[in-house]
Amino acid sequence: EDAERISSADVAVVEARRRQLLDWYSWRETTEEELIEERLALGLPENPLAELLKEKTAEVATVVGEAEEQVIE
Amino acid sequence: MRPILLSGHERALTQVRYNPDGDLIFSVSKDQQICVWFAHNGERLGTYRGHQGAIWTIDVDPTSTILASGSADNTIRLWDIKTGKCLKTWDFPTAVKRVEFNEDGTQLLGVTEKRMGHMGTIVVLDVKIDVEAEQTDEKALTIVCEESKATVAGWSYLSKYIIAGHEDGSISQFDGKSGDLLYNFPIHELNQQITDLQWSQDRTYFITSSKDKTAKLISAKELEVFKSYATDTPLNSAAIAPNKDFVILGGGQAAMDVTTTSARQGKFEARFYHKIFEDEIGRVRGHFGPLNTVAADPTGKGYASGGEDGYVRVHAFDKGYYDFMYEVERERANKLAAAAATAMA
Repeated sequence: EDAERISSADVAVVEARRRQLLDWYSWRETTEEELIEERLALGLPENPLAELLKEKTAEVATVVGEAEEQVIE
Repeated sequence: MRPILLSGHERALTQVRYNPDGDLIFSVSKDQQICVWFAHNGERLGTYRGHQGAIWTIDVDPTSTILASGSADNTIRLWDIKTGKCLKTWDFPTAVKRVEFNEDGTQLLGVTEKRMGHMGTIVVLDVKIDVEAEQTDEKALTIVCEESKATVAGWSYLSKYIIAGHEDGSISQFDGKSGDLLYNFPIHELNQQITDLQWSQDRTYFITSSKDKTAKLISAKELEVFKSYATDTPLNSAAIAPNKDFVILGGGQAAMDVTTTSARQGKFEARFYHKIFEDEIGRVRGHFGPLNTVAADPTGKGYASGGEDGYVRVHAFDKGYYDFMYEVERERANKLAAAAATAMA
């Protein structure tokens, strides 16, 4: 009987956790979709950080390219 | 794995931050020094010198080019991360308690202290992420906190909102462009100050910590309090782990507030809570005083804590951390994997 009571309490806990997990991930999904929509509507890249880093790497690459040209001359 | 101890500061740490790549750690302290360290081995790369008072806060721009700092010497300074050169100094009537870049690094906010004759404010500065560029003297915006001073503040996704945490335990949402106050809600116990505010990676939600011994997880848009993490000690800092559903909390009772002087009484441990289920899942010991600041490595490899004891401790997560899952999480992971397999077939 004790074991039964414990196991039904466990089931309730597990059920509650399953619900919490579902609630959280459905909120995340809607929020992520909304955010991408908003970004695209504003003409912004989906991932702002990746874009900024790409620009920075491109700059460095240009500078390196110039230096090499000078050496060849 | 053994933690790496970063010793170089001579007084209490006030804030630690990773750069977005997670390879550098910046730390500031009451000893007037800014230090930068390699995250993987704890080697000190250098220091940034110039502040004339305790440094309360720092932030790194998204491209790891420029560093911003705020100090008790009533200035915000910009630094060239690579050369250590001070690029700009803005003067204020009072100390600067928090600085934060927005997501694209075009603006910087600063929280200024309240003092006789001066209200606490949140200022916004336009910045150029270019070490050669001339930075403007003008403030783009000044928000005056008339009700209760702001102790922390930050930028939401798309720089839409400025969210502030206050001395009275409330949070405010301001329009990021106009600075108009949209909402103010009490979320922590009345007059238990909010000590930290850190963002999720996409800046759609954030975590606050408070002297009321709790941390809360809140959405930036609706200001909905999703989760509450209850502890047994006043909290100074809280961070959201990027690739596991965990949050990291730091705090502890200051020695002068503890009646019986024992390290155990102080509870100087970093605490890990499950972000969704709100349970405590682990503690990490090490500091000899309260944890003033915690930061999560944005790549998910570890975390750093800065203590009243003057040390920064850097911890790399081990296998147990990555493997830890609740039964219902495993169930969900299996379901997703099965769905992905079906989609492939």
